[in-house]
Amino acid sequence: MKRPATSHERWFKIREELSGRRATLLMALSFLLPLTIWCIASYVPFIWHPDIRLEVSADRTDVSTVYTAGDHVSKEFFPTFQKAVREANARILEDRKNGRGSSGVMVRRDNLKKLRQLAPLAISNGWLRPNQREDDAAIFEIWKKLATGALVLQKPALSPENLEVIRQDWEMLSATGPNFDARKLPDQPLLSLVPQGTPSNPSYLPAPHEVLTTGWYNFTAGGELGQLSLFSRLLISIRIVFTGFLLSCLVGVPIGIFCGTYSFCSKVSEPFIDFFRYMPAPAFSTLLVAIFGAHDEPKVALVFIGTFFQMVLVIAKTTRQLDHALLEAAQTLGAKSRQLFTHVVIPGIMPDLYNDLRILLGWSWTWMVIAELIGVKTGLTEFIETQGRWRNFDAVFPVIILIGIIGFFTDQFLGWFRGILFPYTRRARSTVKSARKIEQPPPANQSPKAESSVTQLTMT
Amino acid sequence: MSQATIDLPDYRTQSPNVAARFGRLKARPVVLEVCDLQKCFSSAQGEVVALQNIDFVVHRREFICVIGASGCGKSTLIRILAGLETPTAGEVLLDHKRVSGPGPERGMVFQGYTLFPWLSVKQNVMFGLKMTGHSSSEAEPTARQWIEMVGLAKFENSFPHQLSGGMKQRVAIARALANQPRVLLMDEPFGALDAQTRCQMQSYLLQIWRNVDVTIVFITHDLDEAIYLADRILVLKPHPGRVDELIEVPVPRPRGPDQFISPEFLATKKRLEELIHPLSESAGDKLPTLRLTRVDDEVE
Repeated sequence: MKRPATSHERWFKIREELSGRRATLLMALSFLLPLTIWCIASYVPFIWHPDIRLEVSADRTDVSTVYTAGDHVSKEFFPTFQKAVREANARILEDRKNGRGSSGVMVRRDNLKKLRQLAPLAISNGWLRPNQREDDAAIFEIWKKLATGALVLQKPALSPENLEVIRQDWEMLSATGPNFDARKLPDQPLLSLVPQGTPSNPSYLPAPHEVLTTGWYNFTAGGELGQLSLFSRLLISIRIVFTGFLLSCLVGVPIGIFCGTYSFCSKVSEPFIDFFRYMPAPAFSTLLVAIFGAHDEPKVALVFIGTFFQMVLVIAKTTRQLDHALLEAAQTLGAKSRQLFTHVVIPGIMPDLYNDLRILLGWSWTWMVIAELIGVKTGLTEFIETQGRWRNFDAVFPVIILIGIIGFFTDQFLGWFRGILFPYTRRARSTVKSARKIEQPPPANQSPKAESSVTQLTMT
Repeated sequence: MSQATIDLPDYRTQSPNVAARFGRLKARPVVLEVCDLQKCFSSAQGEVVALQNIDFVVHRREFICVIGASGCGKSTLIRILAGLETPTAGEVLLDHKRVSGPGPERGMVFQGYTLFPWLSVKQNVMFGLKMTGHSSSEAEPTARQWIEMVGLAKFENSFPHQLSGGMKQRVAIARALANQPRVLLMDEPFGALDAQTRCQMQSYLLQIWRNVDVTIVFITHDLDEAIYLADRILVLKPHPGRVDELIEVPVPRPRGPDQFISPEFLATKKRLEELIHPLSESAGDKLPTLRLTRVDDEVE
């Protein structure tokens, strides 16, 4: 009388592993779920979107804060902003009609700024490269094409109001000549583009596609103005992590093993190390800069300090956990003190030592982020620092995720590699079964019996 | 316990064959000598005497079992014999030389599995030889021979985690014997195995022992195991651990599983039962009677 299991019972069994297909599904889901939440918050407009992201910005003479395209303003402030620019434009038109108004060098400089208002739009439409922001001749051409309708802005489309502004400005600009000449800019004020924007989330939550495109761009391209690409920054960071970690291993592993093996070493060093590890590594940053200078050396030293002391304690503990019976067995087999160390202690702790180092490598990555901030900032952290200051979080997220991915996959790889290095630590079911099978020794004609006993064993 | 039982012979009566065998055995040189051994541990409750006045000798190629209730110091005794513990007083002599620490002339098989997991079966067996200064090329044929002797030739390149419990202990025996020890110390080596495997292992051990010049000291708490394997059984009494009786097992050799019900076997077992589980104590083990069954018929 076995009633079929309900779906609830199939998915929720107390302390029972789910089958392969279900487990895989859930594993995929564990990544998809946060991603979906992120997508929903980013792309469904009415969920959150408290800000307006500016696509077209403008200078306001009466406000000191400068907003450029890509900046975020609050929904409440945006209409005020638009209104102020419209009023400024109206004033210019009125002045023009009345033949009044200022003129001169200042106006010409303002006009150049107004000309460049189009640059972000041209870049987002692919008409300009990002480093051509101040290529006024090219912008001038685009201005012409927009005014004559030869080019139409697609993303974002210009509002009719702004198209009108462009046409009116072009009348004045075209009067200066067919090509751009900074000295010939009109000395009457041009009209400003009216701010335009779309609802968006705060800058600290960029949408997935923004993160992807910015990340890809920063990773492959050399960055702007001779900056390093993310890839070369990554190499710098990796160099710091691994130099610090390897130095720490070089000293820490032997000391740890000695401490775990010989009470003498343990007593003479561990109390101090135990005390020292409570002093947080970042607290030494200025000291390290004073000792090692401002470049890579203090950073490596910080990773070293952060890793080394923990390493000694962890490895000493691992060494102490080696099954004492193995040492006794080796002694009854004639192993002397030094042989015990080289032939039992060292090979015996290798698998656990490997695991310890895997975990400690993860810590080193954390220390790296702090280390790169001391002295002259470098590597990935410097990028996070600067971009974060400019609120370019679409550039920050890819780096954080990148560090996560590197950490995750390094660990997965090392975990897999452990099975290759130390095959005897793999507790596979199949090997236990095969051992049971070979337990009943030779005669070949008895093997069916042996088989059945195996199945019985697995059934129970 | 008052019902009529089968008439058993006295466990001390030996058939002429067995008596002659013991005569020959005692004529052999003494290998291991334990003289007035005492071992104390200091604990929170003060000094605990684990062993006291232990005195016995083991002759060459003898198989002696040490048996006793838990806590009577069996393991402490064998660890002292191995040199893993130092006695508080008294001494252990091996071939008339004082034992002062562990050494390859006293091989040991432990209750837990102590094979080196990072070494293959062959490398495990070669371990002792290498430690005592043999080169790999010398050690390898010897190791092969011992692996063959315990019937695991096919598995010489397997690793311990691929073997069953019984096979692991066979490798452990081969590993200890590869050093050609004078004495093989076995501390409940089959205690962790299931009953069937254990039987098999006992018969393997007797076969090996018959073909090798080795003296075996074997610790167990299993009465059948002790009688089946041993020439003599040293019974220890707890608190403090001391020798209760040294029984000469009257069961003739070669031994086989059919002897488990022979009169000599049962007589010896009865004697061991009396020594290890005295009646006076077992009376105190009775549970209070609480009848919770509604079925009327008596189980007894």
